[in-house]
Amino acid sequence: MVEALATSLPAEVDVLVVGAGPAGMAAAAALAGSGLSLLWIDQRPACGGAIHRQPADGKGRSFAPPSARAQWRRLSAAVAASGARLRGRHHFLGLDSDGHALVEDRAGGRVHGLKPRAILIAVGAVERVLPRPGWQLPGVRTAGGMQVTLKETGEAPQGRIVVAGNGPLTVALAAQLVAAGNPPLAVLEAGDPLRAGAGVGVGALALLQRPRVLAEAGRYLAALYRAGVPWLRGCRVAAVRQAGAALAVDYVDAAGRAGTFDADHLALHDGIRPNRFGLPEAGGAPLVVHAGDCREALGAIAAEADGAAAARRVAAALRGLPAAADSAAIRRERAVQAALARMFAPARDALSLLPDDTVLCRCEGRTVGDLRALIAQDGGLSPREIKLNGRFAMGVCQGRFCGDNVMALIAALNGRGEPAPVELLTGRRWPARPVAIADLIAGCDPDTK
Amino acid sequence: MSAPAEFDWNGVAIPFRPGETLAAALLRAGADRALRPDGEAAFSYFCGIGMCQSCLVVCDGRAVEACVTPATAGAVVRSRHG
Amino acid sequence: MATRKQRAIIVGAGIVGAASAYFLSRAGFEVKVVEAAAPASAASGAADGAVSVASKRPGPLMEAAILGVETYRDLTARGVLDGLFAERSTFMLAQDADEDAVLDGHALSLVRSGVEIRHHGRQDLRALMPVLSPQVRSAVEVRREGHAIGYRIVNRLLAASGAAILRGCRVDGFATDGAATRVTALDTSAGALAADVFVLAAGNGSAALLGLAGVLRPRKGQLFVTERAAALNAGLPGSLMSCRYLMSKDSTDRRMAAEGQEDGGRRFGLVIDPLKTGQFLIGGTREETDVHGTDLAALRLLLGEAVAMVPALAGVRLIRAFSGIRTATVDGRPLIGRAPGFDNLIVATGFEGDGICLGPVTGRVVSELARGMTPAIALEPFDPGRFVPRERAA
Repeated sequence: MVEALATSLPAEVDVLVVGAGPAGMAAAAALAGSGLSLLWIDQRPACGGAIHRQPADGKGRSFAPPSARAQWRRLSAAVAASGARLRGRHHFLGLDSDGHALVEDRAGGRVHGLKPRAILIAVGAVERVLPRPGWQLPGVRTAGGMQVTLKETGEAPQGRIVVAGNGPLTVALAAQLVAAGNPPLAVLEAGDPLRAGAGVGVGALALLQRPRVLAEAGRYLAALYRAGVPWLRGCRVAAVRQAGAALAVDYVDAAGRAGTFDADHLALHDGIRPNRFGLPEAGGAPLVVHAGDCREALGAIAAEADGAAAARRVAAALRGLPAAADSAAIRRERAVQAALARMFAPARDALSLLPDDTVLCRCEGRTVGDLRALIAQDGGLSPREIKLNGRFAMGVCQGRFCGDNVMALIAALNGRGEPAPVELLTGRRWPARPVAIADLIAGCDPDTK
Repeated sequence: MSAPAEFDWNGVAIPFRPGETLAAALLRAGADRALRPDGEAAFSYFCGIGMCQSCLVVCDGRAVEACVTPATAGAVVRSRHG
Repeated sequence: MATRKQRAIIVGAGIVGAASAYFLSRAGFEVKVVEAAAPASAASGAADGAVSVASKRPGPLMEAAILGVETYRDLTARGVLDGLFAERSTFMLAQDADEDAVLDGHALSLVRSGVEIRHHGRQDLRALMPVLSPQVRSAVEVRREGHAIGYRIVNRLLAASGAAILRGCRVDGFATDGAATRVTALDTSAGALAADVFVLAAGNGSAALLGLAGVLRPRKGQLFVTERAAALNAGLPGSLMSCRYLMSKDSTDRRMAAEGQEDGGRRFGLVIDPLKTGQFLIGGTREETDVHGTDLAALRLLLGEAVAMVPALAGVRLIRAFSGIRTATVDGRPLIGRAPGFDNLIVATGFEGDGICLGPVTGRVVSELARGMTPAIALEPFDPGRFVPRERAA
């Protein structure tokens, strides 16, 4: 079949690079010039990842701040100069017990089992979204989800929008919605970064060393101010209700007063975390290296540096050279993210107070009450027992959107401080994402019969 | 002037611009606001990066995440439930 | 007369240990379960869930499986396993003349054991299950058996037993009395634990404690789980078992190699289980290893066969692959009974892939042995004494 031949992948390859966001682009550009052979894939047809999602028609308006545009130009130029070629619409499914890197060619409808010498994984972050009563309703999406469509289409969603949650991204999205001509009704922020003392201490110094961060934040807040969009700090969404064709977003403000916004869309966001689900651990043979936000969620600037550093480590390992040291840029961004986290720290524990009927696992409809009942049965249940008997982290998203919340709630219910690692709940098993059985059995490589 | 490219969504023609994902076109058309008789949304969308599986649709017979699937003219796209 | 409760300690919180805890507790014992990891963390938590006589080898195992299914029914009627045991048929399918012959022979054994079966020809099958491939030429339906998810049964039985569970507790050996005819205590990572009766149901962990390495052998199985596909799922009234599955269970059967079903010492036997959730559980392999892992080659072989049997599965997505390590015995029969030389040490392990079916009835038998009663199953074929322990940890 001509199409199958056209989509076949190289049988022998030194390095498989997964992901074409900032880390993947930096890594691919660096490796392409190293003399090692490269297979570079991404789930989307083009480079950029979520952070640098480009307008679909290639010429629409960009909502990205100047520093992001500069990074995009820099990375695009580096990739172009290196000659690295991206295979779009290919998904990495994981590493099987025979050492096969499983790569799904989505357009070709087949799965390949490849044996690269090294796998550099740069699949970015996923958003953390805390459960709220009604967050499973249609019209509720993640802030990042709203942002990528905005970037892709150049248009804001039609109708009334409320942005809520925690962290700087909510403000960025709101400012971009203003720029796109549909200012949100409000931005509800669970923390209070302007409270006395929020920015004081070691963290403030880290932020001052990165004027870019402060300048961008200032620009976003000024845009909200000019558009009359309230930034309600110390304010949490108590519930989302279906009200006719629209949503009623119930909130409680910093003074404890309740209110409601009638809206068509609610964008939620409570931070980001590494997208590590179903991925092989770093190390071993083949050599597996994680880079960028999927290793440590520090944002695009750190990801670029980390991707380049990971490429050097891979090249060094495959050629028996000494590895490079940790980059100063990454240490700096770590300090910035830590400072922002302290500034935005929410005032209260949002999970313990949730009513029993709040959905925890969106895939399987498992609730906070289901988890409480299990813990009440036996406080000593292991995470795996909770997973299996409560069906948490067992749905099609494989725990990406409930795992952290389940572990945090378990810790809270058992009166422990830090939640246990989410991998105890989700495991580390391929496939890293659902894959059609037809595709799995279609790609019969000689190596795997 | 040529007609805009379209795909079929549960029997309704949905226009899209070149390079767009199925999700972008469906959201513009308000598919996530249309409730089916059973009260479920005909299309739901959450994370936008192919991870949450909320936007799963059947495109030309294959289950795919609408947010990572480029729209193509004439594609037959259906809601997927169950 | 005021006597203190008899104390029982069970080593292993798989389905056999959990069922023993339940039945011993119901018989008035004060029960403690000692578990090296966590309940259902080994084979019971990675099983296909067949509560089935269909696939059992004729003879004592088939007889025991009939009681096994009855025990599920009984526990369900009593409310203990409410909602966890789904009664339904198993369909054993033949795709060529050789398989037809194997199936006919097996059907005869089932009938002789008093099992209710029904033969289906090609036409009949197509009417009953239109989702089946026309390649399937005949089937034997074993009626009134069922499906149960192992880890859920373990969780329910342990909860119902009220037993104390010691997770993460390693057992290093036994302390015995002067005459060395009774075990007095377990030597564990949580200290010495004394009791009146001890039950060893620790799967592969039992081998070192009994000195039976080589008799008890780890045997890996790979299983695959799909997303929900409700309509297709509803088209299957029971689980489907390839006729080759019967052959794969018998490690002495050379037909597996001849048919390309054996690959590097591992054997494949297809089972497609439509789960209550609308998902499918597809298995499995038998591999002589204790190393977990799932591989594309095994997946392709099994899923390829599954699609050949139920073509519409091709459009369903796989969401999980996992492996479990069963505990097999060299002669294919579990160990159930008193440990040789000890009055109060009961062994119940080595069920390989039959633990989900036989676990509850074994728990009942363990409790009967502990109370000096005649067990519901004739235990001679399962007597642990048939193997001479080489070196017992003590």
